[in-house]
Amino acid sequence: MDYNFQFNVVWRNFDALLEGAWLTLQLGVFAFTCGCLIGLVGAACLSFAPRPVRWLVHAFVIFITNTPALIQIYFLYFGLPEFGIRWSNEACVLIGLTLNAGAYLTMILRAGFLSVRQTEMEAGETMGMSLPQRIRYIVVPHIAKSIYPALANFFIVILVMGTSVGAVIGVDELTGQAINLSTVNYRWLEYFTIVALMYVVLTFIASIGLALLGRWAFRVKARIF
Amino acid sequence: MPHLAVNDIHANYGALAVLHGIGFEVDRGEVVSLVGPSGSGKSTVLRALVGLTLVTGGSVEVDGTRIDYAAPRAVKAARDRMAIVFQQYNLFQNMNVLRNVTLAPTKVKGRKRAEVEAEAMELLKLVGMEHKAQAYPDELSGGQQQRVAIARALALKPEILLLDEVTSALDPELVNEVLDAIRRLAGEGMTMLLVSHEMSFVREVSSKVVFMDAGRVVEAGPPDAIFDAPSSERARDFFGKVLR
Ligand SMILES: Nc1ncnc2c1ncn2[C@@H]1O[C@H](COP(=O)(O)OP(=O)(O)O)[C@@H](O)[C@H]1O
Ligand SMILES: [Mg+2]
Repeated sequence: MDYNFQFNVVWRNFDALLEGAWLTLQLGVFAFTCGCLIGLVGAACLSFAPRPVRWLVHAFVIFITNTPALIQIYFLYFGLPEFGIRWSNEACVLIGLTLNAGAYLTMILRAGFLSVRQTEMEAGETMGMSLPQRIRYIVVPHIAKSIYPALANFFIVILVMGTSVGAVIGVDELTGQAINLSTVNYRWLEYFTIVALMYVVLTFIASIGLALLGRWAFRVKARIF
Repeated sequence: MPHLAVNDIHANYGALAVLHGIGFEVDRGEVVSLVGPSGSGKSTVLRALVGLTLVTGGSVEVDGTRIDYAAPRAVKAARDRMAIVFQQYNLFQNMNVLRNVTLAPTKVKGRKRAEVEAEAMELLKLVGMEHKAQAYPDELSGGQQQRVAIARALALKPEILLLDEVTSALDPELVNEVLDAIRRLAGEGMTMLLVSHEMSFVREVSSKVVFMDAGRVVEAGPPDAIFDAPSSERARDFFGKVLR
């Protein structure tokens, strides 16, 4: 191979990449957390709300999951200004990713609502627990425990695939930073090799964090690998 | 005035009519038992009383006040006074024993955690489960889970306790413990409605036995009369089998 790797260039700008990675992590955690809340409300509606509300939730899920995240974020960034709504590129990615995650998580969490033991819900009901209380104390721990691996996987999907969409509208997350920097000195291969490794490290840290959280908060005996 | 009066109630699961007019009364501090073949609707009666199965006809009165099962507030008030222990325990699988017992008193009644926990430990002692306070339901035997379920129901300080075949999962030596606990509760003035297949237990603790079959009350009366001299063919046949 003739290519002469020059990683020095990358190390000189490593701080910028670290900043990008930090932003990626923040975007991922925010979108996932808010997405979980949306998903929880959505899934609860699908189980307990009257029909018109269920239709609305279904429409939201179908609309979001059947269009590319890229298009949704383009719409927020380039489309909304036509209607006088102007958000920063970071806000657009954040909102787009959150809505996207919310739709997918509605369906993921729905599985949890459907598999909760009806008998436990009845016991809670006869003990005077309100529906929100039953969701909080019976359904949520059940979901956390029974579909924790699916949730953790989805977090990784958002962290790696979701956030990198930000690069196309100039958000300086990890992929964005790599593009910015390599455009300056054409060391694409070096930058993207290092960035790929950084994504691996990021997912690794996130996986361990999620496994520990699951074990500590929800008694999930998750294996890290 | 009876503590609990059940007047000609009807209930159904979808198109299937399950209760065709059930009536009986339970006085304050009295233990009344529902007995009858499997599928006769005993569990459904208890479920109807706590508003889990819709009462489609007849009425239920507590202390002379009719419960309007269509009104959420009335149902809530009824559940405040009646607690049910299920045949299948129905413990919260994702909480340890102590939390199972303290959840409703703290979250529903808004009582202080420390105070509720102290009470919960007393109740767990009463059912012989205090050593498992930190265990999770899936680490317990059926009998142990059932005893926790009884403690959980008592933690709500109900006036009327509904027990659905609570001894059927217990080991023989533990049946007596629970029986003692129930006797003690009766002594303290707890009104109880009991569903059980343990006829000697029923005979010992109940002041009245209601024999049900196919969603109807066939006969009712003091245990000795019902067990030893049933007047109906159906009851004679049933007790002939279960009493050997
Ligand atoms: N959730 C349900 N859906 C439909 N039918 C039910 C349900 N629960 C009970 N049943 C039916 O109702 C009848 C009475 O049941 P149940 O009250 O459990 O009787 P028991 O407790 O005396 O054994 C039975 O025929 C049973 O099959
Ligand atoms: Mg039954």
